[in-house]
Order: sequence, then C-alpha cells, then structure tokens
Amino acid sequence: MEDPQLDCALDLMRRLPPQKIESNLSNLIELVPHLCENLLSAVDQPLKVARDKAVGKDYLLCDYNRDGDSYRSPWTNQYDPPLPDGAMPSERLRRLEVEANSAFDQYREMYFEGGVSSVYLWDLDHGFAGVLLIKKAGDGSNKIKGCWDSIHVVEVNEKSSGRAAHYKLTSTAMLWLQTTKTGSGTMNLGGSLTRQAEIEANVGESSPHIANIGRMVEDMENKIRNTLNDIYFSKTKDIVNGLRSTSSAADNKQRDMLKKDLANALHKRNQPAAN
Amino acid sequence: MSQSLSKQEKMRIVSNFILLSPPGEFNEVFNDVRGLLRDDNLLKEEVGLATAQHNKEQFIPCKIEGSDKKVLITEHGDKGGGKFYDPHTKQTFKYDHLRKVTSDVKSGKSDQVSEPWRSALEMALFTYTENHFSKGTTSVYGSTSPDGTITLISCTESHEFNAKNYWNGRWRSQWSTSFKPSQKTAELSGILKIQVHYYEEGNVQLVSSKEVKETLDITNEADTAKAFCQLVLNAESEYQTATAENYQTMSNTTFKALRRALPITKAKIDWAKIAGFNIGRELKKTA
Repeated sequence: MEDPQLDCALDLMRRLPPQKIESNLSNLIELVPHLCENLLSAVDQPLKVARDKAVGKDYLLCDYNRDGDSYRSPWTNQYDPPLPDGAMPSERLRRLEVEANSAFDQYREMYFEGGVSSVYLWDLDHGFAGVLLIKKAGDGSNKIKGCWDSIHVVEVNEKSSGRAAHYKLTSTAMLWLQTTKTGSGTMNLGGSLTRQAEIEANVGESSPHIANIGRMVEDMENKIRNTLNDIYFSKTKDIVNGLRSTSSAADNKQRDMLKKDLANALHKRNQPAAN
Repeated sequence: MSQSLSKQEKMRIVSNFILLSPPGEFNEVFNDVRGLLRDDNLLKEEVGLATAQHNKEQFIPCKIEGSDKKVLITEHGDKGGGKFYDPHTKQTFKYDHLRKVTSDVKSGKSDQVSEPWRSALEMALFTYTENHFSKGTTSVYGSTSPDGTITLISCTESHEFNAKNYWNGRWRSQWSTSFKPSQKTAELSGILKIQVHYYEEGNVQLVSSKEVKETLDITNEADTAKAFCQLVLNAESEYQTATAENYQTMSNTTFKALRRALPITKAKIDWAKIAGFNIGRELKKTA
C-alpha cells in the first residue's frame, strides 16, 4: 500500500536541485526516519566507487550490495568491512552473477571505453532480480567536469516451463556536467531521467537470460542517451534563450519593418509597367 | 537507532527545503513539506521566515494597484513588517508571502538626493528590459548615505513557467554601484543567475551564476544611466553567449566522450556471442 508520506518525499526529491541529492536525501531521512529503507532504495544517488584490494579492481556501491555498513564486491563476493553472516546470493545465482559481471564488463567497454561496472543479483520466488551499475567520469578536458551514472534494475519472472520469462526493467541515467570559466561563470547542468520497459522473451541456448537482459539494457540506454542529449543540450538551452534575448526587440522590429518595405518595393517593381 | 528530531531541527530542515524550491514550484514543495512534517501549527509558526526569504531571493514580481509596471519583491525594497516599497510609483504595499498577493497600497517617500540619478537609470533600464526580457520585470532602488554617497541598485527578473510540460526557468540579475557625484568613475558590480528545472520522468536542473565587476563613468544623471545600461548589456550578452558556447562544447565533446552512441564497430552488441552459450552454467529451473 502506498504511503502518502513516501509520495511527498519522492515528489520533493524530483523538485529539489539534483546537485544537492546527497544532503537533501540525508535531511529527508532525518525528517521522516520511518521511510529510511524505502528512500534509500527508491532514490537514485550518484554511484560511489570502492576498491577490491584482493584483485585490484573497482566496484560500485548501492543499496543492493549493502548489508549494514558493509558492501559486497562482485569480483570476490566478499564484504568490506568483513561480515561473517552477510546476505549472499545462492550458489547458482552467484554463478550467473559472475557471468553477468563479465558480460556487462564487455558492454561497458564497448560503449563507455572506460569507467566501472558492477552487477548484483538476488533471488526472487519465481525468478531473480538484479541491478547493473555503470559509472564513467570524464577526463576534465575543455575545463568541463562530466560524469555518467547508470542504474538498471531488472526483475525476471520465469515461466514454469523454464523456456520463457517476463523481464521488467527500470533504468535511471544520471548525467553531471560542471564548468567554471571567466565568460560563463559557474555552470552546473545535472540530474537524471528514468524510464521503464517490459518484455516477454524465450529463454534458451541462443537467448539465455544475460542475452535477453543485455539487449533490453542496450536498447534502453541508447534511447535514454538520445533523450538526455535532447533535454540537456536542446531543451534547457531553449528555455534559457526564452528568458533573455541577445538581440534587441526594437532592432528586431526595425529589421522586420525594413524587410517588409523591401518586399513591397520589389513587388511594385515586378508589376507590369502601365501602358 | 535514530532519535526523534527536536521541533527546531525539523524546522531547520523544512526551511532549507523551502529555500531550495525551484522557480514556480514553491507551492508543490510547500505541500510536500507539509505532508512530511504533519504538524500544521509548527509549520504555520516557523515557515513564514523561510517563505519571505525565498521570495526576496527569487525577486518575485507582483502587481500593485495604480502601477502600469510590476514591482519586484527584494531585500532592497523590504520595509519590515511584511511591507515593501515600489521605487517606480513611490508607494508602499503589504505583501502576503504565502499567497503572493499585494494589498494596502499607500504613497511612500523617495530619497531626494538619489532620486534624479535613480529615475534616469530606471528609464534607461526599463527600455533595456523591454528589449531583452520580453517576460521581465525591473526595479531600481536609490539611497543616499549620511556622507553623501549615492547607491543605485537595479534588480531584474524574467521567468517562464510551464508546469504542463514539466519545466520552469528563471533569470535574475542585480547590478549595484555607489559613488559621490564628484567622482569620475565608480565600480559597477553585477550578479547574474539562471535556474532551469525540467522534470518529466526525471529531474534535470541548470544552476548557473556569474559575478561581474566593471568600471562605470560618472558624469551627469542621464549619461551615467546610459553608461550603466551599456555595461549591463555587454556583460549580460557575454554571459548568455558564453553559456551557449558551453552547451555546444558539452554536447559535442564532453557528452560524446562519456558514452558513445554505438560501439566503434558501428553496430549493436552481439549478445549471443557475449553471453557465450553458457547453458551448462545457466540458472536452471530444475536443479
């Protein structure tokens, strides 16, 4: 059952500047502590990176690989700080998780050419669920700091035959851009977009779960990338140019009148001469 | 185990949220906060200060009786006790911060020494605002300190609200200068701010600001106003142009470098290959 206070909290998070997500979320949780768990799982935050020292690889942190104050590494399946009885995926699911991490590591490399990715799975009654995280930071060239965070949550409901499944995907892409320059001052363009998709697909040799999920994620991320491009660099820019016009309205009016006069003069000239 | 917050701490958080309301969404933020706090008495007592502060920071435009132009709610026109001053019609009025309505318009007093300078500047800036901010409002304030220093402050606000299409935006600029009429030049300081919020299935915001310092020639009232205006025009146009250039660079360079549209093969991924036919190790229903 929906908690009306949760609705208020989520609506608030959609309006407050995303540049301050972390402090806003922490203040919100202080205000309504009984919603803490719901908010931590429902509100997307920029992803944090941790180092798995055992294998020298980075991994990403989220609520789904957290138990208490410890986080589970997808590479070694160990908690840091160590937790003797931390929540673990079943053995079979862990094997799938290892493959998923390897597959999406390749996906990440092909589209992001860098960055960090992590996949975490957990068991459900009639299937399983998982989250795919990707983080890519820009190199700061052109004095612009940029960062992309992807959070894809997928729910897999397997049909009893085992040969088909229903996939539900909720994807959030966060894009952060900031620059400080003499001409434009401090410019901070940031936030996120969320989309959902659902499909039914066959599960088998040529389309195992990872392939079905991979196709869904790839299509979804490509779509969101286009939308981000439109919203960030067209839409918000158009809104800015609607607030103030670089050209003067008086000059525009004069120019329009001149255009009209010229058109009239041309028209008269092109009229057949009177006999 | 988290302890319940004191009323004071709760109101600090609530006030903070109110101050962060994006342009045009104060009511929605207020209602959200009201739903979370669940204490209307506490809210009524304490939220007044944050609401007033937010309105003054946002340069909220409002209409008063007997004026052809809107007037801005700013700290410079704040007379205390919920009363504000309109330098254009030289009237005071009461402002209900929550409902955003004006009332009780009365004639006020203008400062005699700065008034010729202020009114010349106002005339020039009204034309500038008409030409460059079709949805804008400007208020120009003048004051004189005991030692004869004149201070002129101009505030401009321009907004567009489109909740139906899930977006809102606001421009704010404030320019000020202090001088004695005998001076040849004075410093002109400006603060320019833009905030845009897009929230259809997401939350994207542009928060941008710039501080400017220029040198203003002080001559007579009319020529000083003209020079002030020209400096403002140049600086604000530069800011807008530089912002547009950033958009260009961000989209053509920074964004592309974060994630490609397609892999370098120019084709989507072959998932069968990547998933590697791992049937044996795949999750099976029967085990």
